[in-house]
Amino acid sequence: MSEFFTLSVLVATLASGIRLATPYLIAALGETIGQRSGVLNLGVDGVMLLSAFFAYWTVLETKNLWLGVAVGIVVGFVMGIIYGIITVFFHATQGISGIGIFLFGLGFSDLMFQKQVGTPRPIKQLPDVSIPLLADIPHVGEALFQHNLLIYVAFLLVPIVTFMLKRTTFGMNISAVGENPQAADSLGVSVAQTRFTAILIGNTMAGLAGAALTLELGIFQANLTSGLGFIAVALVYFGAWRPVGVMGGALLYGLVGATVVQLKALQVIPRSVSDIASMAPALLTIAALIVLAGRVKAPSALTRPFSRH
Amino acid sequence: MKPKPNSRTFTRLLAVLLAFTFVVAACGSDDADSGDATVDTDLTVAIVAPSASEDLAFTQSMVDSVKAMGITPQITDGTFIVDDAAAAIRGYAEDGINVVIAHGTQFGGSLAEIAPDFPDTTFIWGTATDTQGLDNVFAYYPEADQGGYVNGVVAAQLTQSGTIGVVGPVQAGDAVAYIDGFAAGAESQGATVNITYTDSFSDVALAAEAAQAHLTNGADVLTGTAQMVVGAVGVASENDIPWFGTQANQTPLDEGLVVASQVYHWEVVLKEMFALIEDGTKGGQTFALTLENDGLVIEFNDGYELDGDTTKLAEDTIAGIIDGSISTGG
Amino acid sequence: MTTEAPLLQMRGITKRFPGVIANEDVDFDLHGGEVHTLLGENGAGKSTLMKILFGLYQPDEGEVLLRGKPIDITSPSEAIAARIGMVHQHFMLVPTLTVAENVALGIKSKRGMLTDLDSVSERIREISDSHGLAVDPSVEVWRLSVGERQRIEIVKALFRDAELLVLDEPTAVLTPQEVDDLFVILRRMTDEGRGLIFISHKLHEVMSLSDRITVLRNGRVTGQTVPSETSREQLAQMMVGRAVRLTPDKPDVKAGDVRLKVRGLTVRGDRGTKAVDNIDLDVYGGEILGVAGVSGNGQRELAEVIAGLREPEGTCTIELDGTSLVGADTRTRRDRGLSYVPEERMRDGAIGDFTVSENMILVDHGGERFSRSGLLNFGAIKDHCTELVQRYAVKTPGIDTPTSSLSGGNIQKVIMARELTAEPHLLIASQPTRGVDIGSAEYIHERLVEQRSRGTATLLISEDLDEVIGLSDRIAVMFDGRVVGIVDSADATREGIGLLMAGVLA
Repeated sequence: MSEFFTLSVLVATLASGIRLATPYLIAALGETIGQRSGVLNLGVDGVMLLSAFFAYWTVLETKNLWLGVAVGIVVGFVMGIIYGIITVFFHATQGISGIGIFLFGLGFSDLMFQKQVGTPRPIKQLPDVSIPLLADIPHVGEALFQHNLLIYVAFLLVPIVTFMLKRTTFGMNISAVGENPQAADSLGVSVAQTRFTAILIGNTMAGLAGAALTLELGIFQANLTSGLGFIAVALVYFGAWRPVGVMGGALLYGLVGATVVQLKALQVIPRSVSDIASMAPALLTIAALIVLAGRVKAPSALTRPFSRH
Repeated sequence: MKPKPNSRTFTRLLAVLLAFTFVVAACGSDDADSGDATVDTDLTVAIVAPSASEDLAFTQSMVDSVKAMGITPQITDGTFIVDDAAAAIRGYAEDGINVVIAHGTQFGGSLAEIAPDFPDTTFIWGTATDTQGLDNVFAYYPEADQGGYVNGVVAAQLTQSGTIGVVGPVQAGDAVAYIDGFAAGAESQGATVNITYTDSFSDVALAAEAAQAHLTNGADVLTGTAQMVVGAVGVASENDIPWFGTQANQTPLDEGLVVASQVYHWEVVLKEMFALIEDGTKGGQTFALTLENDGLVIEFNDGYELDGDTTKLAEDTIAGIIDGSISTGG
Repeated sequence: MTTEAPLLQMRGITKRFPGVIANEDVDFDLHGGEVHTLLGENGAGKSTLMKILFGLYQPDEGEVLLRGKPIDITSPSEAIAARIGMVHQHFMLVPTLTVAENVALGIKSKRGMLTDLDSVSERIREISDSHGLAVDPSVEVWRLSVGERQRIEIVKALFRDAELLVLDEPTAVLTPQEVDDLFVILRRMTDEGRGLIFISHKLHEVMSLSDRITVLRNGRVTGQTVPSETSREQLAQMMVGRAVRLTPDKPDVKAGDVRLKVRGLTVRGDRGTKAVDNIDLDVYGGEILGVAGVSGNGQRELAEVIAGLREPEGTCTIELDGTSLVGADTRTRRDRGLSYVPEERMRDGAIGDFTVSENMILVDHGGERFSRSGLLNFGAIKDHCTELVQRYAVKTPGIDTPTSSLSGGNIQKVIMARELTAEPHLLIASQPTRGVDIGSAEYIHERLVEQRSRGTATLLISEDLDEVIGLSDRIAVMFDGRVVGIVDSADATREGIGLLMAGVLA
């Protein structure tokens, strides 16, 4: 166990945890915005898969990383339009529509991959960018300030989303339509427009998350996300619908995962309990959810379609 | 004010989305179905497999093997849900396909139910070390520890630090055999082998971090098995670390760093099975892929140069395993 | 009042929904400076008319004139822009947001995309000072009392400078004192020249506040009058379409022995706090004991614990005719003579998908009367239920009609029929006429008085003070889980009980 507490291992674990946490964080922040407006999207994983594939394919064909990021974002946006139409304008049951989006994303991304790419072929990964001065801080710099650009973006999104929810009229409208859409409607706030916009933002961020995942790994294959999007939805509950809480959840999940992997590499965790150890992030999240249950309140109108009649 | 889900419209939209998927899927499978090549046999063949047919790993190895025999199989891939696979297996049997290959240990239970209903059909099932007593089932498995041992011996020659990292999926099947064989081979040469099972066949990101963790702990050569290792290969590429592959030839993942891959040539045992089927034996036997029967082949990457001593050592090791003078611990 | 065009004129409004005409040729007008009451039973068409005014529905026929000019209002924002405000019966507030944020919702911010809560708070303070509406702009709404929430609704309308304000049953959840305070505020608003539309079915409030009263029944206007020329009885007649006795005659009944005896009863509510706190009660045979109180002060828990739906805490006494009920299951309690008409009638009182007859025998279906060796005796059931439907005047197409398709009043009659056939010794009636039309309420009241005459001890829990005062022999007032006073109904006044309900005299 003592090997784990060497500085270099701790730094590497921290950096690894941050990398693992990033796609969760971006996707969960987007889902937070959607849920705050009263719309549950269980299709996050599917949107991530689609945008991951199209981002990957774009980079494979054009070698242009940032074009790939842009394509991932656009795919998320388009899926947002589809999900928005289904849930906001057709008042569909959100749980099952989200699962529909997930299945579509899972199947269609795999299909496109097999037709257009076939075998996994590596692409360029997003380069790490050292932040001047900060990156030179011993150890801390290595752990926190030598990552690819999208990782910084993910963490910058936390204050941005917080500010948007708390200090802008749009954020206030989101809270209103998520808590009491009738009230918002009675004051002339368009519930449909507010929710639709929130869904667009949320899905666009899921798209960014998918791009971040595939471009960090430099590869794509079927079911690349491996259920990551569903964990992201759970992290929204974990974070009590607040961006900072969601970040805490994503970091906890990523860091525990990284620690387990690190301890396995050090052969500290014996093979006989390897599978149990692998469940640690999920078990911790469930434990935290149980502890938090009842202390936090979901948006009152979450999953409830709105119509005037 | 009561919300009224307009489920009918939604169902229609969803149906359109799914239909779209199926249409594209149907277009895709046209390519695979066209051409009816039979060289040695008139037997019709279908494959049901859990991952993508071009996964550079488990499923692709079987598809490539069947195609190498000059047979164009019908394929249902990506059936990681066992019930879907069972439906596909039964469907092919009902369609009168002569040989249905159920390429996944997890399909055994379904097969035990389906096979007795179709006594004229042969089911080929693996990886499995027995036929569950069914006389129209052939079983097959790779003695993956053999190639693992060879890879381990070679890997030990390449490491400067003396530490080698292994990224495995769930502790089951040929993954354990390969990894244990690899460890035995590398350790026979005095190297230290650190093994991580990520406990997931699909989590690419976690496999990447597992590889990264090995590097942090001093490993300078990596290997791994199952489809999620593409993430680990990415880490190897990024850090200029030699990589050893298994299941299929993984050279395309990095033409400069993949040293060697243990490749499964299922066609070796398939040919034996097909010969038996032509003679009227529908099943009841188990076949193993070994270095000796050429079912396992170590394919070296020409793009990665090994010195003469190492190449000689590899060849000697293979010979030793074949003649039984080396035990791979499998 | 001015001689100019009225503030609002609605002419010949007709609104049809599939199978229903919600409004038929309705005329309604409002002048600045007056309170015009819209009176009618549930489903009479009041809400539909107001939703049309607020742009939530479009009329099929008719026109709306505002300040003499025709106007087509297609959304709430257009209504707000036309200076029409609405205080909804169910508050239109977002509990997680602050008062200022709630008020600012939907208003264009002076700072563009950013919120402008400082200047909003400033205006709120001005409005609350000038109108006597004490509110703190920085508090989250969920922390506030019902009365405070209502003040915010009014502030919201004033903030948008509403000249015409619709108040949809604004007193439903208020204590009598809060109602008085509200009326003072409303009068101040009419003094400023604003016009108010007051929607209510509480007749004494309508009489005290209104300048004019328009009565709707079945979507049509059945009368227009002023308080000085009418009475509560007349208004009720216009609402129902026939003469109605608002308070039943109570024959003199000699009170019998104590039937229900409660000592030291404490109950935890759903949130784990003490909902009922060390209560002692006696209810005598031939007596109706009314329990008054603002909703949420422990009445529901009290009823449920006696009915056996909730566990009491610690040691306590609950005796029916001298036998303890503590620990007894609901079946045993019924066998000993307890009947229960629950507050949530569709949740606890009847099964919506069941037919009328199934609900009528729900409790007794296993008994000898309706079944033999586990098989239901349909002949006996049919006879019994047909008789009950007649005796209790249940308006239903048949005894095999699903209960959920009946009106609230008729569902309540089905439940009453079932509960009273058991010939109870103790009857617990929770909110027996809430959401029930006046005709059915009158009928239900008569049945309660009938039970009193035959010696039943009745615990009547109601938030309707008129009902409690009119029916009860004694009134127990609950506040914060305790009984803060028991008064003889002969000596009871609305004001006195109101003070007790507010905890002032506690």
